[in-house]
Amino acid sequence: MTAALSPVEPPLLEIDALSVTFDTRAGPVEALRSVSLVVEAGETLGLVGESGCGKSVTAQAVMGLVDVPGRISGGDVRWRGRSLVDPRNARFARSLRGREIGMVFQDPMTSLNPLMPIGAQIGEVLTRHLGLTKAQARARAVDLLAAVGIGAPRTRVDLHPHEMSGGMRQRVMIAMAIACEPALVLADEPTTALDVTVQAQILDLLADLQQRLGIAIVLVSHDLGVVAGLCHRVAVMYAGQVVESAGVEDLFARPAHPYTQGLLRSAPRLDDAPERLVGIEGAPPSLLDPPQGCGFLARCPIGDAACAVPPPARPVGPGRLAACVRPFTPAWGDDRSVIDERAEARR
Amino acid sequence: MSVPPPDSTDDPLLAVRDLAVRYPLPGGFWRRRSFEALDGVGFEIARGETLGLVGESGSGKTTIGRAVLRRVEAHRGEILFRGRDVTRLRGEALRRLRADVQVVLQDPYSSLNPRMRVLDIVAEPLVVHGRAASREDARARVTELLDLVGLPKDAVDRFPHAFSGGQRQRIGIARAIALEPALIVADEPVSALDVSVQAQVVNLLQDLQARLGASYLFISHDLAVVRHIAHRVAILYGGRIVEIGPRDAIFENPRHPYTQALLSAVPIADPVRQRARRRLVHAGEPPDLAAPPPGCRYQARCPLADARCREVSPPLAALAQDHAVACWKPL
Repeated sequence: MTAALSPVEPPLLEIDALSVTFDTRAGPVEALRSVSLVVEAGETLGLVGESGCGKSVTAQAVMGLVDVPGRISGGDVRWRGRSLVDPRNARFARSLRGREIGMVFQDPMTSLNPLMPIGAQIGEVLTRHLGLTKAQARARAVDLLAAVGIGAPRTRVDLHPHEMSGGMRQRVMIAMAIACEPALVLADEPTTALDVTVQAQILDLLADLQQRLGIAIVLVSHDLGVVAGLCHRVAVMYAGQVVESAGVEDLFARPAHPYTQGLLRSAPRLDDAPERLVGIEGAPPSLLDPPQGCGFLARCPIGDAACAVPPPARPVGPGRLAACVRPFTPAWGDDRSVIDERAEARR
Repeated sequence: MSVPPPDSTDDPLLAVRDLAVRYPLPGGFWRRRSFEALDGVGFEIARGETLGLVGESGSGKTTIGRAVLRRVEAHRGEILFRGRDVTRLRGEALRRLRADVQVVLQDPYSSLNPRMRVLDIVAEPLVVHGRAASREDARARVTELLDLVGLPKDAVDRFPHAFSGGQRQRIGIARAIALEPALIVADEPVSALDVSVQAQVVNLLQDLQARLGASYLFISHDLAVVRHIAHRVAILYGGRIVEIGPRDAIFENPRHPYTQALLSAVPIADPVRQRARRRLVHAGEPPDLAAPPPGCRYQARCPLADARCREVSPPLAALAQDHAVACWKPL
């Protein structure tokens, strides 16, 4: 087959207009509302947003972990072009998870089995998915522990999780996630429970594994600094929707969506200490009864009648999408200087 | 607007000297073992000043707050509040201290009683300390306090579940300032909040300090937040203060190897800068405080450690005005 005739290769992972609903006593909660994302092989996509924005639910939907009372109420998740949501592909979807798609959760203490040596836990993945014998699995577990930077792996392989520090346990989780040489690792707040010096080491490890093994990573995080250091592309979520996606440098240098602008300016930074932090007034809307128009309208300084219709995500630059009728408009203007003036006047 | 740090020639509001706290470990009756959570900690807080207390898990920062609040007993040392040692206070004197030293906790979900109305939550300290003459008086005072922390008037008669995390933290703050305390111990007060809300609460704490003149002992693992709110900063490691000084000295000119490694590890929300930064990685674990090693607590991870560091504990020694480091080889 010639190159000209070959069809365009489908992306590694494609989330297409995915909706997830949780049926609660108070009524259906629309946790995800038509979320679309693409992850190409070997890239790191950051998924950022605040509590309840849907970033973790997105990762769970890909892993098939959305369970009653939650359900996928619309859209599709495709792996190399093949649906994981279609019930006829259920066996295919199961075979991917743990093998082609690895997962790292926030809390390594509760996601590891406390009664089982770590080597046996890693070995279990290998015997199950790759059909290795017990002895082979143990030898490979030792290699994996070494690969994630655990010293003296031959003795550590027999330790139980409680005999290790939080950082070590997260390394074990990463070893399990990469055990079958997956094409994609979903990491949901992988360093949030760790101290900052340990976090730095785990982030280095993830970056290193990605370069060496060519794994794609979806990093779910609330920490803009973590995302800035590790990701190639970033998608910003708000109230169950993706409001903006862009290359990491573009997003931080020139945020298009007012929410992204607000998020970036409200994060306190170590390298810049203005006297006054600036938050975003108000709180996200309830997803029990989501707003008809733009989800950010109630908190947006430049929102008006035009925003009462849901703004679709549209291209706003090379490789950039934003769901806003006025992308790149400085939403907070020179707000900070106004605040400084007021402070001057009060003195 | 943060208040300028007050005149340092005044007597400090709080002076902690050589504080040690031990927690008992389960073990035999004959060989009692304990865990040395704090060892030889000393610092001062002036009136109207915020001291940021920074350290990683197990460094002892929360224990310092608990000792100041008299929720854990000091094994050794003094805690001088307005010049008077409070480590042995009992009865009425302890009650009076508790009115003057209040606390704001991390989790706004578990620290408010879900069965109490906001009115009763905020009025409780007023009632307990006999500062409310009547129910009407308490209600009027609570309405004032809620206004001060930026909550609507109708919040008075509602229950905590009706509020978001940031609003709940405002309720906790209203309760803490009800008695106009001289000192507020804030233990990770914004760590459970989203960034856009975190900024609102940090600003509120600063505004209240400017209005009420209270001192804050601000305990946090988040260095960026501490940089915004603290006048002075103390860095803890393994139950000891390794460095203490004015905010800018700590952040711009850190002298202890641990402080430098800690600062270099904090990610910055700027891809270009973040990727260009040099990170100091000092691998290893904090010392076992059930059997701490002699010498410096950071010796096992420190690239500069030598024989002296392994034998003799470095004292917290002043390098410059108000900037002290516990290191034999300050950088």
